[in-house]
Amino acid sequence: MPEYYDRIFGICGFQDTEIERERSRIERALDKIGVGPEDIPRVEQRLREQHEVELEGVRKILRAWILELLDLVLAKEEGKTVIYYGYPSIQGPGMAISSESGENVYVGCPDVVLCHTVGLIFDKLAPFLEAAETNGLPPGHGLCSLQQIRNGGLALGVVPVPDLVIASSYYCDMGSKADELLHEIYGHPAVYIDGSMDSRWGEFPRYDLERIRFLGGQLDKLFANVEKILGIEVTRRSMKKAMATSRVLYSALGQLTSLMTADPMPISGVVSGIAMNLAAASTGRSMSEGPDALSTLCKEVEGRVKSGYGILEKGAPRVLNFAHSFSDPGITHMIEKAGLALAASFVTVPPGKRDKSLKLYSLGEELAESAMRGGAYHSTYGFAKRFAEAARSLSMDGVIWGYQYNCRPMALGSHLFKQFIEEETGIPTLSLEMDYYESRTYGAEALRTKVETFAEMLRARKAKA
Amino acid sequence: MKELTEKLLSHLATREHEIIQARREGRKVVGYIPGGYLPEEIVIAAGAIPIGLVRGGDHSAVELSSSYICRWFDSFCRAQIGYGISGLDPYYKLLDLLAIPITDNHTRAISDVLDYNTDIEIFPFGVPHMKEESAFRYYLHGVNKFKEKAEEITGTRISYSKLREAILLCNKERELIKKISMLRTSDPPPLSGKDFVALNHGSFVADKAFMIGLLESVVTKIEEDPLRIQKRPRILLTGSTLAMGDSTVVNLIEEAGGNIVIEEFAEGIRPYWENVSTGSDLLALLAEAYFMKRVPPAWFRPGRERLDFLIELVKRFKVDGVIWYQLMFRESYKTESYYFPKRLKEEASVPMLVLESDYDPSEAGPMQTRIETFIYNLGK
Repeated sequence: MPEYYDRIFGICGFQDTEIERERSRIERALDKIGVGPEDIPRVEQRLREQHEVELEGVRKILRAWILELLDLVLAKEEGKTVIYYGYPSIQGPGMAISSESGENVYVGCPDVVLCHTVGLIFDKLAPFLEAAETNGLPPGHGLCSLQQIRNGGLALGVVPVPDLVIASSYYCDMGSKADELLHEIYGHPAVYIDGSMDSRWGEFPRYDLERIRFLGGQLDKLFANVEKILGIEVTRRSMKKAMATSRVLYSALGQLTSLMTADPMPISGVVSGIAMNLAAASTGRSMSEGPDALSTLCKEVEGRVKSGYGILEKGAPRVLNFAHSFSDPGITHMIEKAGLALAASFVTVPPGKRDKSLKLYSLGEELAESAMRGGAYHSTYGFAKRFAEAARSLSMDGVIWGYQYNCRPMALGSHLFKQFIEEETGIPTLSLEMDYYESRTYGAEALRTKVETFAEMLRARKAKA
Repeated sequence: MKELTEKLLSHLATREHEIIQARREGRKVVGYIPGGYLPEEIVIAAGAIPIGLVRGGDHSAVELSSSYICRWFDSFCRAQIGYGISGLDPYYKLLDLLAIPITDNHTRAISDVLDYNTDIEIFPFGVPHMKEESAFRYYLHGVNKFKEKAEEITGTRISYSKLREAILLCNKERELIKKISMLRTSDPPPLSGKDFVALNHGSFVADKAFMIGLLESVVTKIEEDPLRIQKRPRILLTGSTLAMGDSTVVNLIEEAGGNIVIEEFAEGIRPYWENVSTGSDLLALLAEAYFMKRVPPAWFRPGRERLDFLIELVKRFKVDGVIWYQLMFRESYKTESYYFPKRLKEEASVPMLVLESDYDPSEAGPMQTRIETFIYNLGK
């Protein structure tokens, strides 16, 4: 029996038989997130206008996100043990835990999942934010909106109370503190992985080896706690197993980021954003659905590149940006409509290789060392340096440093990034205060004037060159 | 008491010139952010002058920082950026080294922005956020690095005996501050909150020997002739930072009829509860006292130890009400201020008022109304 939501699930790549099979799960999940028949015309319009659903690969990625949402919100009802981790987090531990724990454990980052589904697809995040604002994370104080979404999801009973939280205490203060708040309210256990970002300006890529020992030891502590609390043993073998499963996924992501640098730009940044973040938030569906979805998308994008098809005219200024809005595709589209090709991001250029002479004594230390090389977990300077190097090596025309205003590690670079990147590379940089996770204050229209002026300047500069 | 606080003010008024003179004579000056995690003993043992950069409360410094960082950072930390770049706080111009304990991203902001935009030599000093063996080792590693740095800039090797001597000196100062503070368990307290805060702030900047002498005089004075302060509602003032110059909240509380009998702050109030032992490994003992024994600020995770300590203080100092004074955008304090009042009510039957400041003078009016109402209700 067809239902009101079938049409949008069809747009999101679900086959009729699958909708039938998943109907009970879909209905329970929609009920939890508060999507009803009245929302469907708006959601359909959003999908058709803001997402390139004519691409099969996009439909498959949207499907993977929706399946991840169902897995998340129904995890407890379906008898699963639930583990949440924070965002951003060091890549690896979540996947390793997931690969070792099997079907009966849900491991994911609930706030990022809610952003990409309830926000990006269904446009219904406001009640989550409002719930958080009356549950300890009030507005007007620069408190992280991603944490508000997690908090609101729990307050509304949309996402289940976890059995364990992995709080990343090595990067931001807010994430682990917000987890502490939730622990005070709901009482679930939390493991805090600590670190200290105490490198001096100019120190990257060098670092004090003790930082690796400390952070690595903390990651090892996490694995020990996971074993103690949940009986799941994580070893190097688990990590290898996870990596083997995700190799196809990461290889396709690498191909996609490379294809994005083509001129003209073949797809919107909205597409690359939902593809890349799937791996950051999900350890389940990104592994099971991601490889096929990404591979399909890459083939289609490759076809566009070969045929010279672009969403912007050839020669549009090419810009490196940090990331795309997690919940509002309108922001990325506004930037693209201003004529800027968001051709590359922080992850387009991989970090340097590990120094083979370095002696690392545990899985935790290996993960910590890898995180340090990435730059962002090293220091503000490391982050800025990686940005500058990427912009230069990709010959970008401009950089948009869109910093999350209520994320201190990012906001710390509000002025420094622009100063440093322009001094290092001579590439014009726009420092743009944004909110990646919700757009009530920092919507597309609030940012338009700054972006359009920057785009105009880049075009004039390019024409003059 | 007035005479003694004036003596302190007079010392502080000439302190800058004393330091200029000392620098001319070859002594080095090490500034630090006053969050209680930088062992001054190492600076003293190296023959340098420690200066806690404790000034705040001044919105013009916050405004100056806005050319270098966005507004979403703690007001005290933004003020330090403003002071450091502009030289509005003269001590910044006298530094040979600025040691910044990196407690959270707000202090990291001071380190990065001043490192990039000024010629001040910065020494970031990592402070983990949990009390565990590995965290202790990391902190101790930082203490060792700081010792090496202090030796490098002064050209003086820090011997065991010099360090021990410095520890004993600093222990003396902490003991005296603690003694004065504990005298406030009596009702009424023998000195005002304003006077105690002035002494504590002064200790960050004053010459150590002078300060110890002054504190001894204060103890003698109180014991011989305590101030006749009225019995009034007893207030615990707590929060993220209480800087020198940020006097609005203290003044308003005392003018509204409250007696501040105890303070607990992450920055700006020198921790004085724990002394440093003197054994064979002095650096480890410094780390033990400064890190493991110190009641941690709200940016520790979890932050329960501090909240337990606040409840203990409420009981020990017979507090009638808690005023939680936090600076804008220090998210750890904001988060705790949501769930702590319930615990406080349940475990100590004491109410709490949350105040916030961005060092904006226009805050004083609404703050006054809220404080007056709170204290009026306590008195009922």
